[in-house]
Amino acid sequence: MDDIKVDLELDLKGLLCPLPMVRVSQNISKVPVGGVIRATATDPGSLADIPSWARSTGNEIIKQEQEGSNLIYYIKRIK
Amino acid sequence: MTPQANARAELLELINSKMNRTLKYYLDTCVRCAICKDACHQYVATGDVLYLPAYRAELIRRIYKKYMTGSGRLMPKLFEGRDPEDDVLLDELYKTTYACTSCRRCMFWCPFSIDTSWVLAVAKALLLATGRGSEILTQLADSAIDKGKNIDLYTGVIREVLKGSEEEMRRVVQDPNAGFVYDKKGADVLYVALAGTHTILPAAIIFHEAGEDWTLSSFEGSNYGYFLGDTVKAKEIAQRIVDEAKNLGVKEIVMSECGHAHRVMRDFYRMWAKEELPAPMVSVLSKVDGYIKDGRITVTPGKITEPVTYHDPCQIGRNFGLFEEPRNIIRATCSDFRDMTPNRQKQWCCGGGGGLVAETEFDDVRLKSGRLKADQIKATGASILVTPCENCRLQIESLNDEYNLDIEVSAVLDLVVKALVTKST
Ligand code: SF4
Ligand code: SF4
Repeated sequence: MDDIKVDLELDLKGLLCPLPMVRVSQNISKVPVGGVIRATATDPGSLADIPSWARSTGNEIIKQEQEGSNLIYYIKRIK
Repeated sequence: MTPQANARAELLELINSKMNRTLKYYLDTCVRCAICKDACHQYVATGDVLYLPAYRAELIRRIYKKYMTGSGRLMPKLFEGRDPEDDVLLDELYKTTYACTSCRRCMFWCPFSIDTSWVLAVAKALLLATGRGSEILTQLADSAIDKGKNIDLYTGVIREVLKGSEEEMRRVVQDPNAGFVYDKKGADVLYVALAGTHTILPAAIIFHEAGEDWTLSSFEGSNYGYFLGDTVKAKEIAQRIVDEAKNLGVKEIVMSECGHAHRVMRDFYRMWAKEELPAPMVSVLSKVDGYIKDGRITVTPGKITEPVTYHDPCQIGRNFGLFEEPRNIIRATCSDFRDMTPNRQKQWCCGGGGGLVAETEFDDVRLKSGRLKADQIKATGASILVTPCENCRLQIESLNDEYNLDIEVSAVLDLVVKALVTKST
């Protein structure tokens, strides 16, 4: 898990919900199917928004972690 | 019937099912006087006929006339009759419908009070039925519904992250026992915030100081199903809060600073669900204005000395009727309040409503049409812009960059916290 290949970094720090989720949605097509976006947000609302977006669009959060106030999501494009 | 005729019949049935007396009045009455052209910020800023309110409604009117009126059936060409499955019409309808911010400024100007945004609700139903609903608004609505179904997965982790904000609350109110209140049965107030802590912390501080018996909703007030125009999804999203209010047995549902959430809860939920709310919905602005007037909280008069101006969010001002409560709060806390011109019912839309701040495909018209708001703000010479709506704040932040406004954008409750004389002092 520690050596996940990241295809695209998204800095979503400071953006208020729903914009972190909107930015992930806009960028998911920029990585190939099977590719991974690492998105770093700070709004706690993203803790529900991004995973529920992933589930309802058929994509996958393969790892989620917190570093201080940074909420980091590894989102794998499934389709 | 051919598949095409079948599809047409289904779409016409859908439109017909929405045709109540009010809507027929809107479609039959327009005299094409074009007075509404001066009311729509998008038309005024761009001059593009696509954004002329009467033209937006005209696209639906052409289908209505051709299939649902005797004269239109006899002489469809005279009324430029169109078919509901016509791709060219649907493409145009998409651009004009999802661009509309539902500000209803055009209705206020129209001599017959024609509500173009109401006609466009039919357009949205038609677009959804033909697979042309806004993709991002669909995703936002679907993820809110998913969150509602799986809320137990999220509450623990969200409340853990909110502990930092609770620390901040204790520091401000100087009470080691203060904190956010969750799942409190029988609380007087269910406070419905937005997803971020910026709409929770100021309210929590004020509730604490007012001695309010409150509890925090697990759900955000925003409702992208409403912007999408999908009333089934919109109802399901609002239902999460209604069910929570029922389960907890609260006395009031207090809505945070979010324009469309006010209208969804007070005006639309009962239409969609055909039931009343389990408790009255009250704006947090009315609550806090009442706390100040009743002496339940104390603020230092004129504490904020920088020039402050106020933007009436369309969904809180013109469409909900709250004009004075936020102004009372501003006057109680700021020494230099400068209202914009025009204001209240005539306030210009900021350009970011209707879900536009999330729909990047409309960035161009959103930023261009925001010029009117930017000019209004500049004319006040204020350095702080206050507005009680998240969409408006996000839009005015973009206008800040686009038009070099050099203005601080603030929520109303933030002013109260800045001027608050806490009980500990
Ligand atoms: S102001 Fe009213 S009647 Fe006149 S064109 Fe606009 S919608 Fe029609
Ligand atoms: S509701 Fe607002 S954005 Fe929509 S047509 Fe009327 S004035 Fe324009």
